[in-house]
Amino acid sequence: MMLEFFQEMERSIESSIRESRGVASPRKRYTLEVARLGRRLYSGEGKMAWCGVVAPFDLLTAMGVTSCFVEFVGAMVASTGAAGAFIETADQAGFSSDACSFHRSVLGAAMQNTMPVPDLLIGTSNPCSGGLAVIENLARHFSRPLTLLHIPQDQSGGNVAYLADQLRGLARFVTDHTGQPLDPERLRQAIANTNRVHAVGSEVYALARHCPSPATSKDLANFGIVMALFLGSDGSVEVAEAYRDAFRERIAAGKGGIPGEKVRLLWIQNRIQFRHPLEKMLEELYGAAIVIDELNDFNWDPIDPDEPFEGMAKRAIAIPFNGTIETRVEHLKKLARQYRVHGAVNPCNWGCRQGTGARGLIEAGLGSIGVPVLNLEVDCVDDRKFTEGQLRTRLEAFLEMLDGRPSPWQ
Amino acid sequence: MAMTVRSGGCFLGIDIGSLSCDAVLIDAAGCVAASGVVPTGAKNREAIARVTAEVCRGAGIGPGAILGVVSTGYGRDRVDDRLAAVTEITCHARGMRHLNPAARILIDIGGQDSKCIALSAAGSVANFAMNDKCAAGTGRFLEAMARALGVDIDELGSLDEGARGSHAISSMCTVFAESEVVSLIADGVPVNEIVLGLHRAIAGRTVSLLKRTIPEHDGLGVAMSGGVARNGGVVRAIAAAIGHPVFVPEMPDTVGALGAALIARERCLKSTTAA
Repeated sequence: MMLEFFQEMERSIESSIRESRGVASPRKRYTLEVARLGRRLYSGEGKMAWCGVVAPFDLLTAMGVTSCFVEFVGAMVASTGAAGAFIETADQAGFSSDACSFHRSVLGAAMQNTMPVPDLLIGTSNPCSGGLAVIENLARHFSRPLTLLHIPQDQSGGNVAYLADQLRGLARFVTDHTGQPLDPERLRQAIANTNRVHAVGSEVYALARHCPSPATSKDLANFGIVMALFLGSDGSVEVAEAYRDAFRERIAAGKGGIPGEKVRLLWIQNRIQFRHPLEKMLEELYGAAIVIDELNDFNWDPIDPDEPFEGMAKRAIAIPFNGTIETRVEHLKKLARQYRVHGAVNPCNWGCRQGTGARGLIEAGLGSIGVPVLNLEVDCVDDRKFTEGQLRTRLEAFLEMLDGRPSPWQ
Repeated sequence: MAMTVRSGGCFLGIDIGSLSCDAVLIDAAGCVAASGVVPTGAKNREAIARVTAEVCRGAGIGPGAILGVVSTGYGRDRVDDRLAAVTEITCHARGMRHLNPAARILIDIGGQDSKCIALSAAGSVANFAMNDKCAAGTGRFLEAMARALGVDIDELGSLDEGARGSHAISSMCTVFAESEVVSLIADGVPVNEIVLGLHRAIAGRTVSLLKRTIPEHDGLGVAMSGGVARNGGVVRAIAAAIGHPVFVPEMPDTVGALGAALIARERCLKSTTAA
């Protein structure tokens, strides 16, 4: 089912781009890369790995292994409206209904034999122990080899060297189980692509900060987290450049992403992954655009091609969900200032430590710089729990509240 | 409730909640001309028409005298020919500000949601929080409990009087709580102690919401609106839990509709002034 879904998605987008003589929105080019990744994952061709969120995808690209963090599958089945059936299967197998639906949908998909069998699995101890549990479950389910990357909480002491050594070990593990050695030249090329994405992507984010922002709420949804999957590939560079060019054009033409932008919002953690009308409602009724997502940022420096493992280790440690909540709050405050947001929305995804555990501190931290936070309680994957009217009231009330207060940036 | 309408037309606020559809008609001076409450039922538009007719009758005016309508509540988009649809958070805040300018914290418990609203010194919404995931502790919860106890919902508020102790209702799931109440009755627990337990359970939940919304709440005026504010037992339990008296207006159900009417009046006056 998923293979056909991704094949059809890829075909229709390519056809649409051809018909428009190569002119396509950056979001379309991004979606095309998503479709291509999905098709490769589900095609059964080549070597494949299921991973944790901070696995080194450019290293795996260089080694010819199609790889993906499992939460991507949760997001994709949510976007097709099929998550409910998979989650039911996971629930029937005894997984707690209080656990994260990104993960339960993946477990259910595996149990229904709709997840491709990987050649190997790479767990990461960060950002989420639930994700690690899924990887371990999948390794048992598929009877495939698993390795685990222990991600230190910060870059102090010998932490970077410790993780870099693990990454070298990971390369050996991949070779042992795929027969595909690491070619230093291919790694160098992958790292060059990663650094190119870092440079162009940084410009994309800088452009998105413009007032009015050239970004619509949809443009950069899931962008940062999903782009990590494409790192090392030529496609990742093309997507980043498409965004940069489109945003440059919009700014040069004096066009905002949405007409008459009035309110700029920061979205914390993950978006709601299934189809819903709320973002469009915010744009159309209130002139409110989500101009920045928490994960749309480079918290890491370009990677030194002569020390790629150290650079990849630093990157894995630098994800905002790692370490203390204080670090995360400071990052959110930085984004709020850079993008001059009027308010922030925290969906507080059900069953998620990052989503719920930190919400009080995040609210207080952003509140200290005059940015109010709306805490929702949303299952971002399971549309059966979606109560549109309830969420709409909260969002509208938040926008009404923002309308009555001065901008924190005046 | 009806008053003579002064010249200058009227402004209507309609609050379409899950249980009741409330309307308040005010005159150009902002005085309440009439108010009405009808059950919402399954057909929102019929309830809207009924309550509109009721307040027009009460004020002795025809619909043509209504210069502007603002709707609120979960069915706010169902009102035709409205100036605006505004959320109940904003409308309750506006209505309570009119009734009690000293209120800085507003607790509103309606049929299916409960909310706590922090008001700025100027009366605008400074922060708010609402119940999430389920409707436990709201009007529908109390309806189910009254049914389990075999009493009328309007009696519930005074049934905790004279209780020597209370029995904690451990679950706030409406279905589980209902069966818990049935078990307590079967065990011979006095009804007033069960009811006190229910009121305290709602108060506990409400106070959590309040502290989340406005951690520094000591000394601030607290008011309550919504149908559940008519339950004196819940109000007393909340006041005891926060150690502060709670102001309840004469007609707590229609505070949202009053706020909507006031917003309608403001917008009409603003557009008239602008013109």
